[in-house]
Amino acid sequence: MNKHSVLSSVLNDVNIANGLPNEHYIDPVVFAEEKQSVLFSNWSGIGFGKDVPEEGDAKPVDFLGMPLLIVRDRDGEIGVFQNTCRHRGMILVDTPRKIGGAIRCPYHSWCYSLKGKLHATPHVGGPGQNKHEDIDKDDLGLVRIRSYVWRDVIFVNVSGNAPDFEEVHGPLMERWGEFEQPIFHGGETSSFKLEVKSNWKLAVENYCESYHLPWVHPGLNSYSRLEDHYNIEARNHYSGQGTLVYRQLTDQDGATLQDFAGLSDKWDEGAEYVALYPNVLLGVQRDHTFAIVLEPVDQENTVEHIELYYAKSEAETPEHDGLRASNAQLWKTVFEEDVFVVEGMQKGRHGVLFDGGRFSPAMDGPTHCFHHWVATQIENGRTV
Amino acid sequence: MKVRTEQDQWATLDRLLLDAHSRGDHVDLVRYYTQAADEREAVRDLDAACFYLTHAFVFALEAGVPEADVLNYRLFEYGRTERLEF
Repeated sequence: MNKHSVLSSVLNDVNIANGLPNEHYIDPVVFAEEKQSVLFSNWSGIGFGKDVPEEGDAKPVDFLGMPLLIVRDRDGEIGVFQNTCRHRGMILVDTPRKIGGAIRCPYHSWCYSLKGKLHATPHVGGPGQNKHEDIDKDDLGLVRIRSYVWRDVIFVNVSGNAPDFEEVHGPLMERWGEFEQPIFHGGETSSFKLEVKSNWKLAVENYCESYHLPWVHPGLNSYSRLEDHYNIEARNHYSGQGTLVYRQLTDQDGATLQDFAGLSDKWDEGAEYVALYPNVLLGVQRDHTFAIVLEPVDQENTVEHIELYYAKSEAETPEHDGLRASNAQLWKTVFEEDVFVVEGMQKGRHGVLFDGGRFSPAMDGPTHCFHHWVATQIENGRTV
Repeated sequence: MKVRTEQDQWATLDRLLLDAHSRGDHVDLVRYYTQAADEREAVRDLDAACFYLTHAFVFALEAGVPEADVLNYRLFEYGRTERLEF
């Protein structure tokens, strides 16, 4: 098989383009290439701020085999570091925990501050001698990974070469500017994950088009018909779908969740669902938002980490606990309905005669937009 | 019998340190390593004293307890480390 199949057919206009070839879903060599060109070279989601809520909270994350450490420092800022000691390369933190003072390597006890600065090198100059003229602590801090937190999602650019996050994702930040206000995680019931036997890209592709809704989510069709949706395509940035008939959840007393403040009329019945390339799926509605980080495990396995957020905290609105739980269950049902699709497409890509598929020019624009972006990143990686 | 008493004291301290290690008790680790350092410092065995001070300091630094400042200063005064700001 040609590992570097020509991607020109993917880069064609949607009406004549093919989708990405099979090897982009099933071949470990291509997966490794995409790891560098697509996921490490851009702003990828690796987790959520809510997982390190307090100062000193540290959470290790395995991102495509790379050990990372998410830390909330004493200033309340979130930082991401390579979770590897600068001395002998030992993993520093292997389970989520609270750091009382410093991050101590369990091997020889080199210690780092929560901002990654090397603070102690015990016995480095011999027993009881904790400095050496050739060991410059200022040069040996933890390797900081470029990071940015938006809508509670922690994004990293491992290569360090991507343009600034706000430059890359400014278009969506502007589009959703009305939602640029505090969000509060909905608590335990608002957090769940799905393990799917699928390449991560198929989860993106399925998420960002509405074409499948009446077939896969018939429960939505009664009020959210295909014609009530529109495509969202921002070439080189994001793509997705919007609905014109978002309907708020109500409880038995007719109560609804609190709206975000100051939204325009567009959001009375509007909602949008966008794949922020490469691996973060976002949704905004008048009364809640959600974020999904797709964790690519390998070319055929993905973990979907799903978190729901609200305009008011649990503590402020305990009377809405039931609504939040119902809302989470509703979304969980929808996302679970998608599992057979992404897993089925994964199996389908072992059909050696499949050519990447053809798109509906009318309905598949958002998916093609993503394929075009992925192909562009891969081509860029091949020209370096 | 004085020598034997010192040996007994060290054996006791050694047991306490091992127990603190097994419990991951940073407060006790700082306390007993500091005690060990103090005893070696008292007999001017400075290399040994700084060895124990180093351990007390590392565990204090990891735990974020105020003793870290004092221990760092003691090591700094012996020329065994840089002075940190806390």
